[in-house]
Amino acid sequence: MSLHTSPWMWLDERDAVTLSELSQVSGFGPAEVDELVEYGALLPMQPQEPPERPEQLFSAHCITRLRTASKLRIDFDLDLFTVAMLLDYLNQIETLQRQVRALQAHRPSSE
Amino acid sequence: MQRVHRRRAGPNCIGQQVKYKDYYAVLGVPHDATLEQIRKAYRKLARQHHPDMSKAPDAEARFKDAAQAYAALKDPEKRAAYDDLGRRPPGEEFAPPPQWRSAHPVDGAAFEDMDLADLLAALHRQQASPRATMPRSGRDFEANAQINLGEAHRGTVLSLRFDDGADALTLEVTVPPGVTDGQKLRLRGKGGKGSHGGIDGDIYLHIHVAADPVFRVDGHDLYFDLTLAPWEAVLGAEIEVPTLDGPVLLGVPAGTRSGRKLRLRGRGLGKGKGHTTGGDLYAVVRIDVPTTLSAREQAIFQELASISTFRPREPAKPKGE
Repeated sequence: MSLHTSPWMWLDERDAVTLSELSQVSGFGPAEVDELVEYGALLPMQPQEPPERPEQLFSAHCITRLRTASKLRIDFDLDLFTVAMLLDYLNQIETLQRQVRALQAHRPSSE
Repeated sequence: MQRVHRRRAGPNCIGQQVKYKDYYAVLGVPHDATLEQIRKAYRKLARQHHPDMSKAPDAEARFKDAAQAYAALKDPEKRAAYDDLGRRPPGEEFAPPPQWRSAHPVDGAAFEDMDLADLLAALHRQQASPRATMPRSGRDFEANAQINLGEAHRGTVLSLRFDDGADALTLEVTVPPGVTDGQKLRLRGKGGKGSHGGIDGDIYLHIHVAADPVFRVDGHDLYFDLTLAPWEAVLGAEIEVPTLDGPVLLGVPAGTRSGRKLRLRGRGLGKGKGHTTGGDLYAVVRIDVPTTLSAREQAIFQELASISTFRPREPAKPKGE
């Protein structure tokens, strides 16, 4: 995983973003991102030893989910704790969808 | 391709007419409703009409109306400015009176096709940013793109068209090899232009890989059905199988059972950025049988049945017996 330098980046575990960039692209303020981390809805990457950067890093994978949650937060005027719960459920849905796709791929199509 | 609309900035138009909307009626609350009543009414309507939850054709428009009403009434300053406009019949065209304009100064860089929501939003900007020169980030654009499996494997160039108000915007985007279904790509700084030193927006590209008639996809791994004759499964065989880079010979080992997966290492989707190898290709074995037999085939199968010790329905013996 690396901080991206090219004009495009995969929004998955291959790329990473800093807390301030995550805040900028997701619509949540840095303090709100911190609060989501406190609630356990977001998991920062493990700091490297010795730390290369003072700022927390997050997988770019969480950007899409955070942007979805940010839109729903505005649309339904949700508080941050509800957003944290929502992020958990969005994560579960994504995981289940991935598992369904995998199971469909593995079994013979005639079954 | 998703079309993105943006209003064109124009001259100050405070003297122009705007259409009155009864925001209290939209939310179904009295004019003296508390903030809590307003919030509750909005959430109820949002739950009912949100485009993610309602399939009604007018859901989006009704949700937008409710959101506009809520944005105006939840903010005490906007609500006061709205109330100062007085009550009018919904849809009536009117120009805010001079005393209203002096009491509620509005940002000069307004939109020429301003509606009531824009007017109140401009008021908010004026209060938040008196000189209207604060850096403003450009808009982010979201787009969906469907590509086929071959394009996902080899990479492709997409032409994205955004309807950006008066100026149609076309962007060529190179999708690198190894993209998989459902992946998202962020193109930094390729969205709307920022203003007053603000950064440019981004493009978020959602990739959908169309279902392939031969291969099923799981991440970078591909699966396809390999149908074998009973004797191929029993004796083993070399069979030509398809891959995304053309056919290759696959060695089927003797004694291959139905449902077994035979792997062709590195023959799946091409490696993407950050991957050291590509995915694998799996042949999922299914065994088919002939439904019509010649007399000789019938005789051979009967002979096989009489001499074979294979008992497929007998439980496996425990080890050690």
